[in-house]
Amino acid sequence: MVKATRGTLVKCDASIKAMLLDIDSKHRNDFIIEELDEEHVLVKETKIAELKQRLQSMMKERLKEPESSESES
Amino acid sequence: MPPKRKAQAPLDDDGGFDSGAEEALSDQETFDKLRDSFDVKAMSRRLRATHATDPASFLFKKCDQWDAQLKPDHINRPLWVDDAGRIILESFSPIFKDAQDFLINIAEPQSRVSRIHEYSLTAHSLFAAVSIGKSSKEIIDTLERYSKTALSPSVISFIDKSTSSFGKAKIVLKKTLSYIESDDPTILQRLLKDATIAECRADTTDGLIMEAAPRIGVMAIPGTKMAAGANQVAHQVAEAAADPQAPSDMIAALREEDDDDEEVAQVHSFQIKSEERERVVKRCQDIGLPLTEEYDYETDMVNAKLDIDLRPHAQIRYYQEKALGKMFSNSRARSGIIVLPCGAGKTLVGITAACGVKKSTIVLCTSAMSVVQWRAEFLKWSNISSEDIAVFTSESKNRFPRNAGIIISTYTMITSTRNRSYDAEKVMEFIRSREWGLLIADEVHVVPANIFKKVTYSIASHAKLGLTATLLREDDKIEDLNFLIGPKLYEANWQELSEQGHIAKVQCAEVWCQMTPEFYTEWLKPSSVQKRALLSIMNPRKFQACQFLIEYHERRGDKIIVFSDNVYALEKYAKKLSKAYIYGDTPQAERLRILENFQHNDQVNTIFLSKIGDTSLDLPEATCLIQISSHYGSRRQEAQRLGRILRAKRRNDEGFNAFFYSLVSKDTDEMFYSSKRQAFLVDQGYAFKVITRLEGLEKRTDLAFYTTHERRELLMDVLLSKDADAAEEKINGDMFGSKFASTGRKGRKKNGARRTAGTLSELSGGQDMAYIEYNKSRNKELKTKVVKNGFLRKLQRGTANAKKAAKE
Repeated sequence: MVKATRGTLVKCDASIKAMLLDIDSKHRNDFIIEELDEEHVLVKETKIAELKQRLQSMMKERLKEPESSESES
Repeated sequence: MPPKRKAQAPLDDDGGFDSGAEEALSDQETFDKLRDSFDVKAMSRRLRATHATDPASFLFKKCDQWDAQLKPDHINRPLWVDDAGRIILESFSPIFKDAQDFLINIAEPQSRVSRIHEYSLTAHSLFAAVSIGKSSKEIIDTLERYSKTALSPSVISFIDKSTSSFGKAKIVLKKTLSYIESDDPTILQRLLKDATIAECRADTTDGLIMEAAPRIGVMAIPGTKMAAGANQVAHQVAEAAADPQAPSDMIAALREEDDDDEEVAQVHSFQIKSEERERVVKRCQDIGLPLTEEYDYETDMVNAKLDIDLRPHAQIRYYQEKALGKMFSNSRARSGIIVLPCGAGKTLVGITAACGVKKSTIVLCTSAMSVVQWRAEFLKWSNISSEDIAVFTSESKNRFPRNAGIIISTYTMITSTRNRSYDAEKVMEFIRSREWGLLIADEVHVVPANIFKKVTYSIASHAKLGLTATLLREDDKIEDLNFLIGPKLYEANWQELSEQGHIAKVQCAEVWCQMTPEFYTEWLKPSSVQKRALLSIMNPRKFQACQFLIEYHERRGDKIIVFSDNVYALEKYAKKLSKAYIYGDTPQAERLRILENFQHNDQVNTIFLSKIGDTSLDLPEATCLIQISSHYGSRRQEAQRLGRILRAKRRNDEGFNAFFYSLVSKDTDEMFYSSKRQAFLVDQGYAFKVITRLEGLEKRTDLAFYTTHERRELLMDVLLSKDADAAEEKINGDMFGSKFASTGRKGRKKNGARRTAGTLSELSGGQDMAYIEYNKSRNKELKTKVVKNGFLRKLQRGTANAKKAAKE
């Protein structure tokens, strides 16, 4: 029987896609339905918000933010 | 080249010298104490606590000036001064030039972008201002006149406090004896009340020696017209008066001020024991009255005069003249640091200073290579005879035969604590035993304070001159140079010099390269810092961008230098693109051959350099620079690398631009460091363009690593390279090729025997297989100097035959 899943197309940089895949693989492949190509993935619609939030925290953790010059206490 | 590496290795930023700290380090507390009490920020912070605030105050933090009233004619005044001692100057104001000339004397330039310049008042900059003869009243009055708002009392009191303590007393060497001298006898009395200083006093009389101060005249710098300086002043005033836009009342005020400078001053002094000199200097710093060092070289009869003068063809540029003018005003040599961009003629400034002092001079540089360069420059620009100029390095240990001369050496030679050879010890003894007129410290920013202290202890020099392009370090040790050498005397404006064609105009660009998904997936995995850095350097997209830029610029006829800190990457890039490369282990002869080819052979337009090319490598041919990897967030490295193309020979061609590209892998740490590295250059007025995609890069199919397969192979290579990466040479194409041996990621085992079935003919290469060597090193090709052109070869053969015939 054909089973349909509602999905959202996510367009992103190749590097962000690598992050998404990383998140996906660490959470029982719960997010991504299909990898389309280097810059597009299809993500379960219900999981979008959670994925966004996870990506945010991952970026915060992995990438150094350029600090502002006026960092005076 | 072993001696060079030896010289450079310890001078790295990581403070390698600290381990060998000597008792000299005890001064550290003195420095700290001084820094605290004379910090304008700390002072203003205390004041700010009581400062009234409004709802927007938190946005401005330390420089909230909301309640400062603008003067009614503020449009005509070019600057603001805030409570933190920061000065903001409009560079489009009609009287900008005058204001800038004034500010450069009293404040340190922080940032000089096109429309707005920022300066900051520091204790040291005010110290420098006082040492060139500015009084605190003059400073405050002039600032007040230029300022759009009334000066706040905290700034005034800061200026007063700094100028009253700094530079009021001078330590002078007269007839090789040390005197402490001041215009104001009360300061000397205050000093003498201190027990330590009184102990060090040499003369036993109670009173002070009093004499007329030498008139502050304009000292003629060799190579310029005698009266040039005096004329200039008159000219400036005339110019300002002629300018219709300048408000006339201000001009009048300016003139009035100029008139009452001339007063006959008296100086008072007392003598101190020469051997206690260091102690006195230290003590005076401690009690908040640091001494300025000045050298009265014209009346110094004890030290033999050195016969040295600039050759007539040596042209001193105006900014060099300005810098030297600050050093030599008052017809005495003043110790300090002169900051000029790379390629703007620092060496000539040093040589001219030596010609001005005309006494024995010692020059210290960072490497044996620059020792040779300095010597050549001395012979080129001055009329000194070649035997009077000696070199003291690990290879040659000379002395000059007469009683005055020049010695050029390296910091490591002077400060080495290991056992020296007999010859070296003798030269060292010679250096220690005599008095030097001038000490020139090249690239002074690289020298940690405690090393420099050792230098100053072992070399008795009257005046010290520090030269550098980038007076900054990532640690805060740069401050200490202020005490050890002297204040910053002059700092040139990079943009102004490039406008005038003294250094090349540079277009800076930061190229963002996407990481490929495979590489980024690897990058995300937890691994060592080195490995991650390597992954972002070896990013195939970066590689392609590099190749693309090289091809583009080679077509334009540029000579290109590619910098990579990482030797593994350097080798990979260079071999893949078949370009010559130089790194630390490249033998000296090969290096010279490659550099020579780069300069003169139009077949060799690109070279790859590792860190060793960062400083003191003079390649005026280079016009384009690509940076693929770098040392974290080092602003100095960025500036020094830029310096490699500033002296481009073609800089005066119409519309000529040099190019500086920094390739950065997107979404990696490189982005973070890149923004840090640029800070210094941005402050010098350089604008970095960000290029997110290179036009036409995607359409190219002939670039390296175009296919996914190739990229995966590269990734494998990178992953297999161990953390000890660069050191090991990878053997490519072993018997069965990587395809067979590595089915999986862990498939490739280097150790242990492996059994496979095969025929004997296969092993002997008999199965009509042909081998071709990829990734050849271009270095090897450059080795044989063969004339490739058929005609020239024929010509050569002809002359050879003729010679043979003649012999017979």
